[in-house]
Amino acid sequence: MESNIESLMHGFGIAITMQHILLMMIGVLLGILVGVLPGLGAPNGVSLLLPLTFGMQPVSAIILLSSMYWGALFGGSVTSILFNIPGEPSSVATTFDGYPMARDGRPSTALATAFGSAAFGALVGVVLITLVASWVAQFALRFGPPEYFAVYFLAFASFVGMGGTPPIKTLVALSIGFAIAAIGIDTVSGSVRLTFGVPELVKGVDFVVAVMGLFGIGELLLAVEEEMHAKAVSSKIDWREVLRTIAGLPRYGWTLLRSAAIGCWMGITPGGPTAASFMSYGIAKRFAKKGSRPFGTGVPEGIVAPEAADHSAGTSALLPMLSLGIPGSATAAVMMGGLMIWGLNPGPMLFVDQRDFVWGLIASMYVSNIVAVVLVLLTVPVFAALMRIPFFIIAPLIFIICTVGAYSVSNSYLDVVLMFGFGIIGYLFKKAAYPLAPLVLAIVIGDKAEDAFRQAMLMSKGSLGIFFSSPLVTCLILGGFAFLVVPQLMKLVRPRRARPGLEATEV
Amino acid sequence: MISQRLIEVTTAALTGLFGVAVVVSSIDNGIGWGEKGVDAGTFPLIVGSAIALGSLYNLVRGALVAHEVAVTWVALRRVAGLFLPAAVFIALIPALGMYASSFGYVLATVGWQRKLPPWKTLAIAVAAPLFLYVVFEKLFVVSLPHGALFEMMGF
Repeated sequence: MESNIESLMHGFGIAITMQHILLMMIGVLLGILVGVLPGLGAPNGVSLLLPLTFGMQPVSAIILLSSMYWGALFGGSVTSILFNIPGEPSSVATTFDGYPMARDGRPSTALATAFGSAAFGALVGVVLITLVASWVAQFALRFGPPEYFAVYFLAFASFVGMGGTPPIKTLVALSIGFAIAAIGIDTVSGSVRLTFGVPELVKGVDFVVAVMGLFGIGELLLAVEEEMHAKAVSSKIDWREVLRTIAGLPRYGWTLLRSAAIGCWMGITPGGPTAASFMSYGIAKRFAKKGSRPFGTGVPEGIVAPEAADHSAGTSALLPMLSLGIPGSATAAVMMGGLMIWGLNPGPMLFVDQRDFVWGLIASMYVSNIVAVVLVLLTVPVFAALMRIPFFIIAPLIFIICTVGAYSVSNSYLDVVLMFGFGIIGYLFKKAAYPLAPLVLAIVIGDKAEDAFRQAMLMSKGSLGIFFSSPLVTCLILGGFAFLVVPQLMKLVRPRRARPGLEATEV
Repeated sequence: MISQRLIEVTTAALTGLFGVAVVVSSIDNGIGWGEKGVDAGTFPLIVGSAIALGSLYNLVRGALVAHEVAVTWVALRRVAGLFLPAAVFIALIPALGMYASSFGYVLATVGWQRKLPPWKTLAIAVAAPLFLYVVFEKLFVVSLPHGALFEMMGF
C-alpha cells in the first residue's frame, strides 16, 4: 500500500512537467473536438493520433492519447446537453435529462452537473487503478500461458454473456475479429494465413484501419441518416452558477458513488462506458424517490448517474489493460495497440520493467482530468459554435480525415479500400445491433490469445486437460463458462426483462 | 425503404460467407496437431466455424424478424448521398492523388447541396487539401499519394 503511494508520487514527478502538461492540454482539446463532432469519436480519434506518436517517448505518447480519451468523454457530453446530439455513443444517456435541463434555461447548471459528476467518476476510477492495478499485476506475474488463455477466455465470455447485445451476434463479431487478427504471417509456424490470394495482406490488417472504418465511416453513415438541426440552447457559461452547482453536488453523493461503482465494474469487465452509462441511468431511475420529478424532465440525478458511470468506466478500462494486457473498452484497445507499437508489452511485466511509464500514466490521469474539466468549461462556447457548421460540410471533411488516417498507417492504398469496407460493415452492424467493441478487441489481442492457447497446448502435448490442471486456471475457465451460460439461464427464468436502450447503442 | 429483415439477412449472409472463406482457407494451413504443436490452421478453423454457424443462426433469426422499417427512403437517399461520392473519391485516389481527389470530392458534395454561395464552396474545397498538405507533407513529413496522373506530369 505504502509503496503504491510512493510510486504514485514518483509518477507525479514524471507527469507534472511543462511538456507533459502541454501535451495534456493538446490531447484534451483534440479529444473535445472529436467528442463534439458526430462521426468522430474517441476510438478513431486516438487511432488518428497514433501514427504521430511513434517518434515520442512512450510515456509522453500515452499521456497525449489518454488525455485525448478524457477530452472525448467530456466533449460528448457538451453536445448531448446543448444540442441533444450525443457526440459519443457513451453520452446518449446524458441527453435524456441534460438537454431538457439546458432547454429550460439552465445550461450552466446542466453542464456543471455533468462535468462535476464526470470528474468524480474519473477520480474513483483512477483511485481504483492506483490502489489495485499493481496488486493485480503482481498476482498476474505468476500466470503462465494456460492462465493467460483462461483470462482471455473469461474476458471474451463476459462480452458474449453480459454485453447486452444478442449473444450470438456478439460471438460472430468477436470471431470475425479473431479471424482478422490471424490474417498474415503466423508467428509460430511462419506460414501465411487467410490472405485469400491478396499478396499485400501478408503484413496483416492493422487495427487502426478497422477502427477508422467501423467507428468513423460507420458512425458517419449513421449520423447522416437524420438531418441534424443544431438547435442550440444558449451556450453562455454563468461561472457563479457553475461553482454553486459543483458545490451542491455532494447532495447526490449516493447516486455518485453507486454510479461510479457501476462504471468501475463495467470498465474492468469489458462492458465499456456506453453500457455503464445506460445501466447507471436505468438504476438511478428505478431508485428515484416517489413523488419527485420524473426522469427525463431535467432532473440532476439523470445527469449525475450516466456521467459518473461513463467516466469511471472510461478510466477503469485502463486497469485490465495495464495489469493484464486486456483492454476494457474499444479506445483502451487502440491504446494497447499503441503500447505494442512503441515496443512495450502490455501486462503485468509493465509494473516491473516500465515503472516510469505505468506510474507516469496513472499520475497523469489525476492531472489531466482536472485539466479536462477546466478546458472543457472554458471552451464550451467555441465548440458550440463549431456545431453550427452544417453537417453537409463537416461530413465530407471527416471522411477525408479518416481516409488519410487509414492511408498513413502504412502508406498503403489497400488500407483505404479496407477501411471503406469496414465502414460498410460498421454501418450494417450498428443497424443490426452487433457490437463493434469486441471485434476491435479481438483484432488487437487475437494473436496473444492464440499464442497463449498454442503455448499451453505445447506444455501439455496437446491435451486440453491443462486448463483444469490447477485450481486457479480451473476457476477462470469455469468463470468464463458461467459468464456465458448464466445470463442465458436468467433470461429463461425471467423472460423479457426490458433493458431499455441498451441493445442498439452498445459500443 | 429498407426493412430490418433485409438488414439482418444481408449482414448474416455476409458474415456467413466470410466464415466459410475462413474455414476453407484454414484447411490449407493444416489442422490439428503437427510437428510444432497446434497447426496454423486450427485456430482459424475454430473461429471460422463459429462465424459460419453463428451467422446461420442469425440468418434464421433475422428472417423471422417482424416487418419493420430500418431505413426510410429519405434516410437512404441521405446515406447514398454520402456513400456514393465517397466511393468515387476513393476510386479516384490512385489516379488523381489524395489532394486533387479530396478537392473534387468536397467541391462536388458541398456544391451539390446548393446551400452555400459558390465562393464559399470553392474556399472550403481548396482549404481541405491545403490543410492536409501542411499537416502531413510539411509538419509530419508523411507523403500522401500524389496520383499517377500528376506523377506523369512530374509533380
